[in-house]
Amino acid sequence: MIKDKGMSGDARILIAIFAIFAALGLAACGGDGISGGSEDVEVGVAEAEGEASGELSVSNWPFYIDRKSVPEFEEETGLKVNYTEDVNDNSEFFGKLQPLLADGESGGRDIMVVTDWMAKKMYDLGYLQDFDQEAVEFAFSNLREGVASPAFDPERDYSLPWQSGLTGLVVNSAEAPDVESINDLFDPQYKGKVEMLTEMRDTVPLVMKADGIDPVDATKEDWLAAIEKIRAAAESGQIRKFTGNNYTNDLANGDAVAVIGWSGDAVQLQADDPSIEFRMPSEGCILWSDNMVIPVGAPNPTAAYEFMNYVYVPENQAQITAYNSYVQPVDGVQEIFEKEDPALAESELVFPSDEYTANCSTQPEPPGDAEDVAEVEQAFQSVITG
Amino acid sequence: MDTESSSSAGRRRRRRGLVPYWLLGPGLIWLTIFFVIPMYFMARLALNSGTLETGFQFSWEFSNFSDAISRYDTQFVRSLIYASAATAIALLIAYPLAYAIAFRAGRWKNVLLFAVVAPFFTTYLIRTIGWTTILSDDSVVVDVLQTVGILDQGGRLLATPTAVIAGITYNFLPFMVLPIYASLERIDTRLIEAAKDLYSNARQAFFKVTLPLSAPGVVAGTLLTFIPAAGDYINAIFLGSSNQSMVGNAIQSLYLNLRDYPTAAALSFIMMVAILALVILYIRFAGSEALMGEEGEAK
Repeated sequence: MIKDKGMSGDARILIAIFAIFAALGLAACGGDGISGGSEDVEVGVAEAEGEASGELSVSNWPFYIDRKSVPEFEEETGLKVNYTEDVNDNSEFFGKLQPLLADGESGGRDIMVVTDWMAKKMYDLGYLQDFDQEAVEFAFSNLREGVASPAFDPERDYSLPWQSGLTGLVVNSAEAPDVESINDLFDPQYKGKVEMLTEMRDTVPLVMKADGIDPVDATKEDWLAAIEKIRAAAESGQIRKFTGNNYTNDLANGDAVAVIGWSGDAVQLQADDPSIEFRMPSEGCILWSDNMVIPVGAPNPTAAYEFMNYVYVPENQAQITAYNSYVQPVDGVQEIFEKEDPALAESELVFPSDEYTANCSTQPEPPGDAEDVAEVEQAFQSVITG
Repeated sequence: MDTESSSSAGRRRRRRGLVPYWLLGPGLIWLTIFFVIPMYFMARLALNSGTLETGFQFSWEFSNFSDAISRYDTQFVRSLIYASAATAIALLIAYPLAYAIAFRAGRWKNVLLFAVVAPFFTTYLIRTIGWTTILSDDSVVVDVLQTVGILDQGGRLLATPTAVIAGITYNFLPFMVLPIYASLERIDTRLIEAAKDLYSNARQAFFKVTLPLSAPGVVAGTLLTFIPAAGDYINAIFLGSSNQSMVGNAIQSLYLNLRDYPTAAALSFIMMVAILALVILYIRFAGSEALMGEEGEAK
């Protein structure tokens, strides 16, 4: 008895502490799930409720909105907007958010802007909600026909374009005057001055096109062969770097003279340095859209719809387009520019004609099942990480 | 002596015996929450199989470890080489600097110490990105190096191992300077005077007295530099290219881009064990007295 009591004090507390941790450990084991959703997932509709109020959180890519649009939206609606430019690469953004999304959380985000393939991937995993069609009726009434029914979401059930764009060559014409094709990026005279995108679905299909392979019906072997071609160029030092949006810095300070890049960035860079320009590769470009989507767990979908409708007002959209110079999705904007900025209204990069994009392909997905896609992604990532 | 007083003395002794453990308590709890539990989950994750789409299952998948090391051996070895090089260079810069601050700076001591720490008021990321402008191909630095022939015409600094090692050295230099300074500061200068009284010249006094007494700072500094340097990935991203990527970049790519959490965890684990082994070897070699200083020796 005395012995028992003697042990008590300290030892018992130690045991208690140990027990608490053991329990914590067990509890955590129970929820041991960084699990994905393979089973068919129920996708809910993000219902709008009454008037929009409170806060709205938007995650978007850098250089995608002017400084005035958000404050003007706040003033008009009385909503408070947390606008964050935290998307620099689809895969990486997904990688950061996936553990939250798998738990039905969005980290407070109401709208995220992701590229077509990523929107579909997230939707298939049950990480996105369908739109409340009534609440976005206005936006859809202004949606340009050309982007109204993409293959990945033909009815636009869960995605609304933010901007679209072209992936092709962005070139410093003074330093690299004769770069006309993606194949010219492999020319030794530009060794160490060439960069490509970390976005696999932009870089690899362009390299395939340059070799005469149509990315739409490319096989897994075609993808892997193109990746090997890129690998050899990376290892030899021909390709200086793989980047997201930050290739713009390298072009601006002369570290790169020819890169695979995005049309709107080229126009923005040109404003500072007239020798930088977008070039349509002779074999064609890649077309894509970035889309507004509403993630699961979005705290304020009503405000999200308010924002979507706001940016689909032609005047508001014109202000955003004038800043980012991408291909905008709203009817009636070109007419505004015809009056206010005729040069922009005629720009093939902002309002591309069918002839201009004749050889371009919609951004493709590697063929095959999830395992095949993973194999291609792994091969491409192994190039990027050396 | 009656039984009662002896038993109460015994209890007191026992209580006194447990006091050290009580004092260790907060530290142990800290370690458990922030080290042992995360370690456990990482080890567990490293033994999972499956993919994100199908879900991960715990299955004692030891092949994750061999897979990780066979796929990323280059980055692994490169990390250790870059970290060692950066540590060595940082030591060569930091020791004279700390020595000058401790013994020669006079009233400028605090100003100089502040100057060492001042860059830390800007975030790590911004400082590293800043270097990409300073070292860019058309910059003055590259121009000058080309003119004096250190770089070839058309040579560059960015996207080379030199830039990555230099970046790591720069970013971790204060971690080397401060511990060395602290140990030099503590040296009783009368010992150096005594050495001179005993006919040592300045050189001998330095190697026989100052250097051994500052060894704890050197050991602490090298550890504080080497360990984070080996896991760094920011410098390789901004100052390097795919041919300079380190183990941190591989883990980032596995985790964020490929969403292969088990292999990422396995690779992290291997890196940690490797660093731990190196550190243990180093301390054995340098002697634990060196790390603990005179107190260590006294025991």
